[in-house]
Amino acid sequence: MLNILVLGIGQCGNRILDSINSEAFGGNGTFAKYYSNQKFPASVKTIAINTAINDLKGLKYTLAKDRFHVPHLHGVGANRTLGKKVFEDNKELIMGEIDKRGSFDLIFIITSTAGGSGSSFAPRLVEELKAAYNAQIVCIAVLPFREEGSISLQNTAFCIKELIEEKPNGILLVDNQYLKKYAGDIKSAYDKINATTARRLLFLIEALNSEMLMVTDLGDLKTVMNGGVGIGTMGFYESDNGNTVKATILGSFKPSGLLFPANVYTEGARAMLIIKGSKKYLDLDLINKTIEELSTEVGQVFKGVLVKKGPAKVLSLFTLNSIPELDRLYASAAVAIRTEKVKREESKKQLDNAFACIEELEPIY
Amino acid sequence: MNGVRILVIATFFVFVLMTPVVVASGNDSYYIFDNELQVNEGITIETSIHIEVVEVKRIPLERAKFRITSYQRPERMITVFKEDGPQANRYETYSGASIYLDVIGVYSDSVQFRVSGPSNWRVTDYYDVDPEEGGGEVDEAVTVPKLKITRTLDISSVQQGQTAKVTFKIKNDGNGTASEIELDEPTIKGAYREGCPTTLDDIAAGATERVSYDLKIVDVEPGTYELNPTLLNYKSESGTSYSSESSSNVLVIVAEEVLAPELEIKLTIESDDDVIICGERFSVTVRIDNTGNATTGRITVKSHLPDDVRVAGGEIDPVYESIKPGDYEEYEVTMIAYEPGKHVIKMDVLWADEEASASAEFWAERSGFDKYYIYILAAIPIVLILLWLIKRRREYSF
Ligand SMILES: Nc1nc2c(ncn2[C@@H]2O[C@H](COP(=O)(O)OP(=O)(O)OP(=O)(O)O)[C@@H](O)[C@H]2O)c(=O)[nH]1
Ligand SMILES: [Mg+2]
Repeated sequence: MLNILVLGIGQCGNRILDSINSEAFGGNGTFAKYYSNQKFPASVKTIAINTAINDLKGLKYTLAKDRFHVPHLHGVGANRTLGKKVFEDNKELIMGEIDKRGSFDLIFIITSTAGGSGSSFAPRLVEELKAAYNAQIVCIAVLPFREEGSISLQNTAFCIKELIEEKPNGILLVDNQYLKKYAGDIKSAYDKINATTARRLLFLIEALNSEMLMVTDLGDLKTVMNGGVGIGTMGFYESDNGNTVKATILGSFKPSGLLFPANVYTEGARAMLIIKGSKKYLDLDLINKTIEELSTEVGQVFKGVLVKKGPAKVLSLFTLNSIPELDRLYASAAVAIRTEKVKREESKKQLDNAFACIEELEPIY
Repeated sequence: MNGVRILVIATFFVFVLMTPVVVASGNDSYYIFDNELQVNEGITIETSIHIEVVEVKRIPLERAKFRITSYQRPERMITVFKEDGPQANRYETYSGASIYLDVIGVYSDSVQFRVSGPSNWRVTDYYDVDPEEGGGEVDEAVTVPKLKITRTLDISSVQQGQTAKVTFKIKNDGNGTASEIELDEPTIKGAYREGCPTTLDDIAAGATERVSYDLKIVDVEPGTYELNPTLLNYKSESGTSYSSESSSNVLVIVAEEVLAPELEIKLTIESDDDVIICGERFSVTVRIDNTGNATTGRITVKSHLPDDVRVAGGEIDPVYESIKPGDYEEYEVTMIAYEPGKHVIKMDVLWADEEASASAEFWAERSGFDKYYIYILAAIPIVLILLWLIKRRREYSF
């Protein structure tokens, strides 16, 4: 059985982590935790880490002992510089807390890229965890709504840059902006995005831990995540019963099912497909044939088949060779930073001019 | 209206009763005697009735004591008070005719008195009484028998249907043999004499004779009766008649007592406030008393228990061969009641063709534990769930 650690950092990370815990209860609503026990597909440890105690308090399905407050009340206010300092100050505490949970084969770090705490802690955590554990580390980075403002964009830009520099095994993107379509208001959009992300993550964990026919394993994951720029995302498709397994597999590559906008056929580097369902829906020959076809376009495609009661479901996980959306994001981030800089300088100049008026003057009483 | 009638009746009676006197007072010739006599002087009326003045007293009340003797009648002492009126002092003679004494005046040693009676009766003799003799006619020449009769009853109270034994003790205190002794024993209506002699053998001077008979009370209502004096008439050897009488006796007749056993059964439940605990033993004491006056025959006890009451120890329906009057049998049974609520235990005791019952009531309550057992049982999972919820809540609250 795989030992997996899931860290949710900052408000966004905490909330997605809480969704994972909620899903582990079967997703049965608020009261499930009072009558049922969590069931993870592997040995999963979760820790919610935050500088804002209120964010931790808002969680519902995460054990209190799995919520770790980094003593710096009320967050770092989206200030990554401050966030890094707080991390440095509390590094031992944080690592000690993680260490209590034993050793791990795979670590997921979930964070938003736009906030202060999560986005600054995540790269540092990758660095520390790599040093401390011989485990694969996959980051799940949540991109902001583009209208959130220049600080969000700037944080995202630096966060992703720093994450890549720390070389985790991979980065999976979840784009709030792209997934806004899930719901009209932000709150329900968040909930929906969190639940979707949580389910896909658990699906992935289940597949990695499974000892079934044609399984995928950590090695496959590592290879997939190594492809392209090391950044990817996840897609998902559930067939209604009329579909062939081929249609279901192809469905999981459709942009509408992805967590981040990409064209798998043009930009995909490597992929992993996890196919789950009742045996009668899983035509192995067809699966193999479909994957062969896909490989010619997407490159290396790993597959895992999980026989489990239910309609056929496919989770696709892939890395990308190029990420136009990220390029656009960096471009706008750069514009935002420059604009910010110019505005600052202008404001400063204005203030300097104003002060110049009273230069060499003394107050007279 | 009633008043008037009573008055008329009363007047009529007075008139009838007073008739001889009224007649006598209306005409002097009806007084047999109307004169003064000295103490120890006597008169004889119609040769057979003797009236002697025994003593006179003026203090505290004027009175005179007379001795009256007559044929076939015992000697009688009569004290007559002045102004008592003749009616108060009647003396009935053997023939059934009565005479009446009336004291007119009392002097130091004489008395003026009147004797009234049948108009044709006359004083036939005046005589002096020898103080030594003390009674009767002076008959110095011959021996005189003098019988004294005492009558006793073996019981003073006799039941209807039973018999009282009447005994006469007759003693001859005289100096001559009493012969031709006739015993005139009165009786009570409804009672019969068995073996009561009417004549007795001669009794020599100084001898004592005992005679007894059974007085069978057959059809007499319960009550207190006076048995009138027994009259003895006898003669001396010379043929002179004498009589004496016993004192009267009182006999109480009580209702006939029926001999029958009578049983009473009593149940006693040992408990506080007649409340017992379901499932716990309690004892019931059954006591059967023979309150009757006869020994019973075979006795059986039959119990009637509520459905949920069981006998846990002891014989609940014993059989006894007999119980003597005033005696009792007692036994204890241990029982258990299983259901809460009011219970009635009934027991019948049966003997001959009769039966008596008793019942006892008690409340059965669930024990403290039993009462709350169900709640405790129900509470355990609730408490466990609550503890679980609290634990979970604490685990998930930060
Ligand atoms: N998908 C998703 N995104 C969220 C959620 N909460 C916040 N975000 C996004 O996360 C970003 C803000 O970062 P947070 O995670 O709130 O910031 P933080 O890491 O807590 O850092 P500070 O609050 O600045 O200390 C924004 O882009 C939000 O849109 C959530 O529940 N789900
Ligand atoms: Mg926060």
